[in-house]
Amino acid sequence: MKLDFGFIWTAFVQLLTAVPTALAITAVSVFCGLLIGTAVAVIRLYKIPVLYPIATSYVTFIRGTPMLTHLLLIYFGLPIIVDSLAEALGLSFRSVSIPMIGFAYISFSITAGAYMSEVVRSGLLAVNQGQIEAAYSIGMTTTQATRRIVLPQAFAASLPNLSNMVIGMLHGTTLAFTVSVVDINAKAQIVATTNWKFFEAYLAAAIIFWGLTIIIERLTALAEKRFNLYNRGGVS
Amino acid sequence: MGEPIDISYVLEYLIKLLPTLRITLLIVVSSIVIGLGVGFIVALPQLYKIPILRRFSQIYLSFFRGTPILIQLFLFYYGLPEVLKLVHMDVSRVPALYFVILTYALHSGAYLAEMIRAAVGAVDRGQVEAAYAVGMTGFQAFTRIVLPQAIAISIPVFANLVIANLKDTSLAFSLGIMELTGKSQTLAVMSRHFVETYISLALIYFVISFGLEQLFHLLERRMQRHNRRAATEKKEQSSKKLRYRWLSAGIGFSRGGRENEA
Repeated sequence: MKLDFGFIWTAFVQLLTAVPTALAITAVSVFCGLLIGTAVAVIRLYKIPVLYPIATSYVTFIRGTPMLTHLLLIYFGLPIIVDSLAEALGLSFRSVSIPMIGFAYISFSITAGAYMSEVVRSGLLAVNQGQIEAAYSIGMTTTQATRRIVLPQAFAASLPNLSNMVIGMLHGTTLAFTVSVVDINAKAQIVATTNWKFFEAYLAAAIIFWGLTIIIERLTALAEKRFNLYNRGGVS
Repeated sequence: MGEPIDISYVLEYLIKLLPTLRITLLIVVSSIVIGLGVGFIVALPQLYKIPILRRFSQIYLSFFRGTPILIQLFLFYYGLPEVLKLVHMDVSRVPALYFVILTYALHSGAYLAEMIRAAVGAVDRGQVEAAYAVGMTGFQAFTRIVLPQAIAISIPVFANLVIANLKDTSLAFSLGIMELTGKSQTLAVMSRHFVETYISLALIYFVISFGLEQLFHLLERRMQRHNRRAATEKKEQSSKKLRYRWLSAGIGFSRGGRENEA
């Protein structure tokens, strides 16, 4: 085997240019997913009448189908909806003006939202009910109790899940190549085919992902230490 | 882009896609079976804290959990033939399907190893001590006492892993495997009915993962019999319900502490 170590480095440097795209998709999908997930989790916890079945079927459907199908459905289905809506409303906006990466943002946010709702739900349920009772007993309002007592503890409890989610979405960005977004995977393909060195290119991509994942894990460990400070137990 | 939408095509494509379900399930089943073996081998050094091997299994876990499955697929597809050339094995004629199964097996193997480790760790230490006390050997204690309990504990995680594996197989199309997704892509491009094809594709995945979930749920209840949970489970459920009720009443936006005071 002639493994070209020099080329791994060349590929590595070239692949680094695609890292911001991957991180942007991850950040956007995790952030929007968190918003959607919180809304869905609140709907499911409070059993809000009409919305409850919608939220439940959304989560069930998304969790039961691969991320790739969401992306394909959005990529081919959304333009039809947008175009017919624009035509009906007489707007000049057409789906062609949506950038490719927009489809990745939308589709991955929808995917992340379903998984995130479970993260948020388990986090909220992990807070001891005595905590809220105590908050009320010292005269806090509901908003105060939620913001000062429930949310910090729920966040600390769901940090490990949250980090798994971020890593999952980061790994999911490799699918963006199907809608012609140049992410790390697509870049690796380009580098590989132009130089006819597939193994080296994908090795470089794997190293990048491995490194990013380890960084995220380390950061989470640090954050966990920080946010679980209150949870020392014992005396002093 | 494509033809106008006609929902009646969904059923037609559903039937056209069904035969390729065989390949998808073949990948899932064989990779999970091999993955269980791999996971067991990887978990053992961690369970028994074997010095150097433990380090290797940690690196294995870190790599397979730290890189996307798609990258792993390409890495093995292009890299394995090169590596095997070193030992004078020519695998250039081996169908891509075998590479795919191997990659999925190694990938799930990492997650299955974690599952095994957690499950064995969750079995009460006293159980092993009791087994030793009645004169069982280490092997007997493991196979007769620890393993059955560990299996029962790990069923929910296992179910999640199998379903995740099923969903991950949708990436095998990138190596040209004609499984569900691969077939749907050719169907879509040929007929130009993209949305309908992908709706039927999503439906198939959904039905299978939903069915698997129910199946494992049944299995879990069957396996947990030894715990004689019936009484406690009911109690747990009702307390959980209470908790929901408390949540909906306690921090409901409409009824807060202030109003209760008044």
